[in-house]
Amino acid sequence: MSVKYTPVQWNTSKWVYDAVMLAGIALFLWLFISVAPGALNHEFPVNPPIANARAFGACAFVMLTVILCIGPLARLDRRFLPLLYNRRHFGVMTAAVAMTHAYFVLGWYFAFFRGAERWETVLFANTSYGQVLGFPFEALGIFALLCLLILAATSHDFWLKFLTPPVWKAIHFLIYPAYVAVVGHVALGAFQSRGNETMAAIFSAGALVVAGLHIAAAWKERRVDPHAAGTDWVKVGNASDIAEGRAIIARLPDGKRVAVFRHEGQLSAISNACAHQNGPLGEGRIIDCIVTCPWHGFQYDVRTGRSPAPFTEKVPTYRLRLEQDEVFVDPVPNAPGTPVEPVQATQEAMP
Amino acid sequence: MSNRDEPFFVGYLPCPPGLRLFLLAASLVLFAGAGLLGYAIASTQDDPGDGRLRFDFGPQTVIGVLEMTPSPVLHVTQGTDAIPEGHTLMLSGQGKNGAVDRAQALEGQLVQATGILLQRGGLDMLQLNGGNNFRAADDQSVIPDIPEPEPLGRWEITGEICDGKCEAGAMRPGRGISHRACANLCLLGGVPPVFVTTQPIEGEEFLLIAGEGDETTPPALLDYVGLYVTLEGDVSRHGDLLVLTVDTDTVTVVE
Repeated sequence: MSVKYTPVQWNTSKWVYDAVMLAGIALFLWLFISVAPGALNHEFPVNPPIANARAFGACAFVMLTVILCIGPLARLDRRFLPLLYNRRHFGVMTAAVAMTHAYFVLGWYFAFFRGAERWETVLFANTSYGQVLGFPFEALGIFALLCLLILAATSHDFWLKFLTPPVWKAIHFLIYPAYVAVVGHVALGAFQSRGNETMAAIFSAGALVVAGLHIAAAWKERRVDPHAAGTDWVKVGNASDIAEGRAIIARLPDGKRVAVFRHEGQLSAISNACAHQNGPLGEGRIIDCIVTCPWHGFQYDVRTGRSPAPFTEKVPTYRLRLEQDEVFVDPVPNAPGTPVEPVQATQEAMP
Repeated sequence: MSNRDEPFFVGYLPCPPGLRLFLLAASLVLFAGAGLLGYAIASTQDDPGDGRLRFDFGPQTVIGVLEMTPSPVLHVTQGTDAIPEGHTLMLSGQGKNGAVDRAQALEGQLVQATGILLQRGGLDMLQLNGGNNFRAADDQSVIPDIPEPEPLGRWEITGEICDGKCEAGAMRPGRGISHRACANLCLLGGVPPVFVTTQPIEGEEFLLIAGEGDETTPPALLDYVGLYVTLEGDVSRHGDLLVLTVDTDTVTVVE
């Protein structure tokens, strides 16, 4: 979190994250371009621009697959949350790798044509949109690349603030149509030109893993978060189930989630959605009296829903009521940043 | 219920000790996985064959009589070590360009051509150098007769429509669906189209596709480039080159 915009707010975690990512990319490309061809032992290997295009294209696909796995993995096992922390760097680097793939493709397959530039030839070289075999799969790649470039260009928190989180979030859902387009791009292009089916198996497995993890995470989320009972004051759980410095999460009748925290024996309720990127605040914890989001560390005073000065983020608060050990929440949220007096828990948290 | 003992990661704070081993393992898995996938995917690449630009031969200068199909072909009368006399040689320009514009005024003449040979098995083509490297031969006093085309009948054949230049070795690989757009551009640019057969026709695996009028490639074939197709057409022998006149109504994609 920050009160001013800087290109990158570097810290040790980000340096380590980027170093591992870049080392992985370098290893992938080196083995693809320099090592594997030697083992293939083709007397006349594929042209270097084609080898480069294939290497960067495959790398972008793998990176996109990994990116899309990080979210559901973190939902299934919170130890993966650190991979989510700096995912935007992963995304920007993926866009750069995909752009490099496009550079090699345009510079080889679509260049050297008299009378038109390469960015023009890619648009008219194949227009058989009405057929599956021979479909201009390049168009799907162009769409995916444009999506990735839009996501990369708007990945900075400035755009999150400027566009507002709901709009920003909606734009960043483009990652899913982009991935579908990439799968189509590969399936209608490279798959159709290879005698070897191992590549199709690898790529299909990647796409299936992405789909499977998303389904598993959604299933877990539906199963874990209880629906609050009632329509007026709704029961969200028991006070004794809330550990000190932690929260329970419940889904309210309007579909939104509320997080009820215990702090120094008192209970407070705030929206579960972080004002930054809708991270699950209820899965965070209280550090130095402040709720800390598990995704990017944005912080809020649990009694007011406000970030500590000089920060300005706010989330809605909720009114609470306790009956014996049962916690009830008024499902009508207060305006973001509205102070609410905490409720003294009568039951100690379970050890 | 919330878990009291779970380590909690905050990016701008030191990594909790309970997570360090897990993150180290995750990093190693990602790093090793990247290497494994890079190697595995690269290993699925097919052998692109032996087609290539024969720079090792150096520039080739040949003389022959020019015929237009309308793709230009040269019936070689004075060859080189790599291009024998009597050979029928397809011609193309540089990049994704044919040589029709340069050849039209020379049709039927004795022509001197200099360029780089492209060669894949029995398929070859000369990529003409620029400038004055494709011109009428100095001595036009005796122009040898070119062989009369020998009709070989109507055939139903299966294979792929390619641009002759990439397939001959300008690109490796130079065929298939992923090369389709590139092949279309080459054909639009006037590069001679060839049909690569799955079964030899009269001992040949490549046939030059005859154009229609001034078009080196029949426009109806452009939707089928790079696909596995079956078609019917008349085959004739022009020197040692087979030329296929496609009945464009008979082209069907083989699933």
